[in-house]
Amino acid sequence: MKRILPPLIPFVVITLAVEWMVRSGTVPSYLVPAPSAVLRALFDSRDELAVAFAKTSAATLVGFVLSTVTGIAIAVLLSSSRAIQRAFYPYAVFFQTVPIIAIAPLLVIWFGYGMKTVIASAFIVSIFPVIANTLTGLLSTDPALRDLFRLYGASAGVTLVKLRFPAALPQILTGLRVASGLAVIGAIVGEFIGGQGLGSVVDVARTQQRIDKVFAAVLLASVLGLALFGLINLISALTLRRWHASEQTG
Amino acid sequence: MTNPTVTETARGVALRLERVRRVFENNLVVIEGMDLRIDAGEFLAVLGPSGCGKSTLLRMIARLSSPDSGRIVTEPEQFQTAFVFQDAHLLPWRTTLDNTALPLELMGLGRDERYAKARAALAQVGLEDAESRYPAQLSGGMRMRVSLARALVTEPRLLLMDEPFAALDEITRFNLEVQLRELWRRRGMTVIFVTHSISEAAFLANRAVVLARRGGKIRLDRRVDLPPERTNDLRSDPQLGQRLGHEMKLLMGAMEEE
Amino acid sequence: MAACGKTSKIRLALNWKPDPQFGGFYAAAYQKHGLDVEILPGGAGTPTVQMIGAGSAEFGIVSGDELVVARSRGEDVVALFAVFQNCPQGIMAHASRNLASIGDVLKEGTLAIQRGLPYARILEKKYGFDHVKVVPSPGGDISAFLHDENFAQQCFVMSEPLLARHAGVDVKVFPVADIGYNPYTTVLATSGAQLKSNPDGAKAMVAAVREGWRAYLDDPKPTNAHMHDLNPSMDAATFAEVAEAQKPYIETHRETTPLGSMTAERWMTLIGQLAELGDIPQAIPAQDCFRNI
Repeated sequence: MKRILPPLIPFVVITLAVEWMVRSGTVPSYLVPAPSAVLRALFDSRDELAVAFAKTSAATLVGFVLSTVTGIAIAVLLSSSRAIQRAFYPYAVFFQTVPIIAIAPLLVIWFGYGMKTVIASAFIVSIFPVIANTLTGLLSTDPALRDLFRLYGASAGVTLVKLRFPAALPQILTGLRVASGLAVIGAIVGEFIGGQGLGSVVDVARTQQRIDKVFAAVLLASVLGLALFGLINLISALTLRRWHASEQTG
Repeated sequence: MTNPTVTETARGVALRLERVRRVFENNLVVIEGMDLRIDAGEFLAVLGPSGCGKSTLLRMIARLSSPDSGRIVTEPEQFQTAFVFQDAHLLPWRTTLDNTALPLELMGLGRDERYAKARAALAQVGLEDAESRYPAQLSGGMRMRVSLARALVTEPRLLLMDEPFAALDEITRFNLEVQLRELWRRRGMTVIFVTHSISEAAFLANRAVVLARRGGKIRLDRRVDLPPERTNDLRSDPQLGQRLGHEMKLLMGAMEEE
Repeated sequence: MAACGKTSKIRLALNWKPDPQFGGFYAAAYQKHGLDVEILPGGAGTPTVQMIGAGSAEFGIVSGDELVVARSRGEDVVALFAVFQNCPQGIMAHASRNLASIGDVLKEGTLAIQRGLPYARILEKKYGFDHVKVVPSPGGDISAFLHDENFAQQCFVMSEPLLARHAGVDVKVFPVADIGYNPYTTVLATSGAQLKSNPDGAKAMVAAVREGWRAYLDDPKPTNAHMHDLNPSMDAATFAEVAEAQKPYIETHRETTPLGSMTAERWMTLIGQLAELGDIPQAIPAQDCFRNI
């Protein structure tokens, strides 16, 4: 209760305030839907939204797992040598800056209309924080510990697995937290162009001026983002519990 | 010359530094042609102000870096080295036992064997009950003892220590000094102990070298004239304390300010 | 008004990039009518109907059907001038497929269409989408269409088909009006509040726009050059071609009614169709939807 109550209170207050504002006519309903209308849209379109939610979740998860694995692999490669880092890191920054809206039509040409495009979109948008945070973590290894490993003849591979990677774990998880939200955004954008899931529901409902349905779909997208974020936090708690300050109780 | 009180065969390393020179990137000459002989089984304290090159010296002896000219000859040529840093530098995600066993793990020893040796090492520093705790659950002094156990687990013939007790409170420091000295007497490895503290150097070592402020020049190289058994009595007993004070005075005289 | 020497500041929000469908709006001499008009170009998804309702634009370009839907939701938006008297929307397909009617397009392949649009759903209701893969409309981009023979997409009949022919692909166009759906398109609209507070300004606006369209129909060249500067994605030759091809949709009763004027029957038909589709809960009064001023 102690964890849930603080964020719940502002939510309830704001929801009630918006409901009142729309009902009393202070804010026109075609601009902002009353929360009750959003709930009704959620209920009325529950089958359509359930299917859409499942599709978006699947694409987001696959895209996110891919960007986690690939991002960590790229970071490991970049961390292995200064020369490689200098040569290739600027290209990693490309993933950060490319406007997904602009290249989404290209994705459709390469991957067609459907799941693959959505996954690609989620992947592209979420990979950079994984690379950046993992790289920082891998490069911040305690030099004294690195000396210790050298002293006992540990190879680069052993040092990576037994020292640098575990030491980088808190930083990696931070990167994953950021990436999880971005993966949802990437999936939704991909769905605008690729035509399925919650993104498609938003796009179609918008054309029909069904703003209540738009908000219902957006609400579900937020739930997805929160669920993914919560999952990362759970993993973080389980792996860092015993030894990292961030997970120790205050 | 080996330490006459070691009861087992001396199991240390003899070193000879010949005109060792080390220059840093900005052309700063950290160590200018140092000549030094260290006998097997010696407990050598290296004193000097900050920036005098004592840590650099230690790292070269550990083969973590190389001299720019000159050489370091050892006898035997191959041997196990251990290093203890100022901070315990334990792996926070490993238990005390796994931390202690780390060097053996890196050397490829099997689980049962390395855990047995680790437990023995922990017993030597009095931490047999803490083996499943994590570093976050240990005090500063306990962590340093784990670091010491980790250093001893490979039965090194050369033990290098870089101001290991500097961050600890005085009582813990005193007790660890006594414990270290005892471990050395039992095992007979060569110990090179870098420190800022004159009293620590006098208490622990049987030979002390004082480096100049710059360039790694040796200002004083002397056998410490104190009994081979060093206990806390040495600090409190009036007669022994006088001898300790005398040694310290000599060392102080050679120490420059930073 | 000009008589008082005061110019009212007006924002006109477009629902697409500057192209020939807005020619008359760019050609209009607003200053002459005492108006200080700023034209806001739009793009994919610009919510012009909402902008009018929220007051972020005094005038906007909307489609007839979205105006009816907005009114049924309580937004007081009113049409003043309809550029396209006949709806120029349609479906284009590769001519090589030898399709006979719009229903044939839905028998196989891919159709890129905005699913939320009423005519998309009329098509779905009438023919069903079971045998065709429906994907979102790429909005003016015909690259997917060019690559795939079985790819059909929604279009403005005088716009995308022209681009396709230039790229070497012969197309057959099926106007949406063929299935009986023919709303006023590219409609100048404003809010009821704006009409009430500044009726003379609205009148001046319509007059300026009417003259602008007359001028553009007679000679589109100078305005095309200006619009091409604003929207270089379409080349000058295409601008000219489209401007020519769109004429029959704009001018239908030259002698009898002024350019852009509307009738209640047309609005009533549209309202009936939308009510049947379920886009609006019930019919709304047709005469509230428009003013001929």
